Amino acid sequence: MKQYILEAKNISKTFGNVKALENVNFYLRKGKIHGLLGENGAGKSSLMNILSGIYQPEKGSIFINNVKQKSLDPESASELGIGMVHQEFRLIESFSIEDNLTLSKSNIYQNNFKEAYEKYSEIFSLSVKPEKTISQLSVGEKQKIEIMKLIFKDSKIMLLDEPTAVLTPQETDQLRISLGTLSEEDEKTIVLISHKLKEIREFTEKVFVMKNGKMVAEELSTKDVTDDNLIELMMGNIQKSIIDKSNTAGDTKLSIKSLEYVDKVNNFKILDNINLEIKAGEIIGIAGVSGNGQVELANIISGIEVDYSGKILINNKDVSRRGVRSRKKLNLSYIPENRLGVGLAPGVSVLDNSIVRDYFKTRLGPHLSRSKTENYLESLINKFSIKAPNSKAEISTLSGGNMQKLLMGRELISNPEVIIASQPTRGLDVNAVEAIHNLLVEQRDKGSAILMISEDLDELFKLSNRIHVMFEGKIVKSFNIDDADINNVGLAMAGIVE
Amino acid sequence: MNNLKLFKRQTVNELSTFYSFLIGFIIAIFIGSIILLIQDKSPIDTFSLMLRLSVGSINSLSASLNKAIPLILAGLGISIINSVKLWNIGAEGQIFLGAIAVNFIYINTQINSPSIHIFVLLVAGFVGGSLCILIPAITKVVFGVNEIITTLLTNYIVFGVTIFLINGPWKDPKSLNFPAAAYVGEEVFLPTIIGKLSFGFLICILFTILAHYLKNKSVFGFEMRIAGGSAMTAVYAGINAKQKAFIAMLIGGGFAGLAGAIELLSQTHRVSTGISQGFGYTAIIVAAITGMRPLGIFLVGSLFGALSIGGSVIQTIGVSAYIADIIQASTLFGALIIQFFFTYQIKKVEND
Repeated sequence: MKQYILEAKNISKTFGNVKALENVNFYLRKGKIHGLLGENGAGKSSLMNILSGIYQPEKGSIFINNVKQKSLDPESASELGIGMVHQEFRLIESFSIEDNLTLSKSNIYQNNFKEAYEKYSEIFSLSVKPEKTISQLSVGEKQKIEIMKLIFKDSKIMLLDEPTAVLTPQETDQLRISLGTLSEEDEKTIVLISHKLKEIREFTEKVFVMKNGKMVAEELSTKDVTDDNLIELMMGNIQKSIIDKSNTAGDTKLSIKSLEYVDKVNNFKILDNINLEIKAGEIIGIAGVSGNGQVELANIISGIEVDYSGKILINNKDVSRRGVRSRKKLNLSYIPENRLGVGLAPGVSVLDNSIVRDYFKTRLGPHLSRSKTENYLESLINKFSIKAPNSKAEISTLSGGNMQKLLMGRELISNPEVIIASQPTRGLDVNAVEAIHNLLVEQRDKGSAILMISEDLDELFKLSNRIHVMFEGKIVKSFNIDDADINNVGLAMAGIVE
Repeated sequence: MNNLKLFKRQTVNELSTFYSFLIGFIIAIFIGSIILLIQDKSPIDTFSLMLRLSVGSINSLSASLNKAIPLILAGLGISIINSVKLWNIGAEGQIFLGAIAVNFIYINTQINSPSIHIFVLLVAGFVGGSLCILIPAITKVVFGVNEIITTLLTNYIVFGVTIFLINGPWKDPKSLNFPAAAYVGEEVFLPTIIGKLSFGFLICILFTILAHYLKNKSVFGFEMRIAGGSAMTAVYAGINAKQKAFIAMLIGGGFAGLAGAIELLSQTHRVSTGISQGFGYTAIIVAAITGMRPLGIFLVGSLFGALSIGGSVIQTIGVSAYIADIIQASTLFGALIIQFFFTYQIKKVEND
């Protein structure tokens, strides 16, 4: 029998109708750094939450030091030495660093906090006094405190959920060195969750890959596996389009010229020299791992974000300094990625939400005609086959698919010339995805110029005429759909461009 | 393991607020009865006396409705501000500042036509109420300061200003050392329509319709709902959420200020601490019970007016007037609890 510090066998977990994990095996060797790779929603976080006792699996067993664990809850998992750093920090903002580090009852440095803090702040190259309160720290520093918290409560297995997502490249480098030291000197067993190939390659010795709730590769040696292998495992086979793309493109409807957007607080370029052109009758796909500037790009084109440099032209008309409303009047529609909260207002009725785009067209002075708005909603419901209990029902009583159909319908019914669709099918079931795709294609055939931002490569390959890949705020590579394949797009998404 | 879980109902009965009010009111009467029984008073005698002396004659009915005017107007103001999901706890102060503004304009202007004069004074009351909420409105939209705190605090400030005015610059020498400003002239008293019922009641009806229109039928009402639902959706739709919140607060404050003006011109006829007897706070209860619906506020406000008249008359048989306050507050509690069951259902679920 191999010596594993932790073994999880045949773990299954479902949420509602969604199979989050299906017969997953996972095992860790003492003192090694393991990578867990997978796309968003592949089940990585669910698995980690099970190992740290937050979720209970429906099936499967967990062995720690070869002892079978009957049931794990957060307390017993912590006693067994399993600690997790969540994507959202769990620090007490108003407490000092020292208080946060020594809060746990299993704290092992009660009497010699000072020396321990000195030792580990050197390993993490952290140069703040322990009396400082958490709220005064930078994001990178908070991350270090989160990991130190695990050391202080004597966690032997450290599960780190996307720890680099909030870090700058320099901080990421630093983290790599610190984790290396911990695994070598303190024999900590570390799991690094990521969807960035480069980090998995640099940080880890062994790598596991998940896709759609299944473990598709177990304990590969990071040295021996290629980027191409990993991308194929992570993204699977992609069926090339079945959608006819022989339609011809017309005039340029939307062009973006040398767009730049800077995060002024951190003095960090979120968008860097973006140039784009979209013609009538084509769908342009923007691929990329989320957080590489896609949301900001969509917000800038739609007029929500105004503090940028560069030019935006709709129908050859410079709208760079125009607001949301006047861009809508030039027939631009925006389907935001955040369905409920941005596209639709929670707590407000279906009727009110249905008229958000066009209400100012039907207003009579200060009066909003109830019969007109009801008719408008009715036509949306019929045309886009939306299921809604009644017009006064609160919007969140609709299913995700119906919400998205209402949102799409509202944005498409006036036959817009330019459409920005951000993650249009995220979280929807197969039928709803199909319906949304058909709507977009139909709109393309009517001559709309469509910019589709998506993390779903299936969707991008299926619908797009061209694909641009965004990485760290730049368009790093562009493909005609015929030249694009899963490997070259996937590598570009990971920032690997020859 | 079985667990009880809450689920939001897909559709909520449209009359649910009305039913929860009714049930809440019955619960309140029940609680009131228990308290009366503890004091060895007969609930039936007490309540029938309350009923008779609050709605039993034209005079008592008009007294009840007069009492309802400030509750309704301030309640409407609270409901308008709540359209953007903000809470106005400052109606009490707005009522006082409305009355102060009326007196200020009355002292400093000379208008010969009484009807124009009254009109100007009513407008002054509205503006006074708006001014009272101006600072909370600015701090809310510019700095994001919690409006519940700031509107509450303005109550104390305005009350202090009132005390200062009626003990200092505006003190009436003829008031025999009672702290109050001088009476306004009879030419600006609001006329009565039937019995003692003030003309203010007609204004109240008009403003109820106005508030109903503004909230439910106008473009502004729609924009307020979106801004209140999600500030991000408002930005996305090109709606200036802060501007809507600002305007809603000024209008809402104005409604309460108008209540102060009517109270001064029809009841007290002078600025004193008696301009409001907690109307601004009771109005919060009225608005909350009705789920912020203007027509409901009109009805519940009228009922609460009758309750407080009833409460004050039963003192003659040795029952504390607080019984009316207890009923008002218990109605809110009861209604909110019942409303909860209309909005959610409790289901048994398998533990996941």
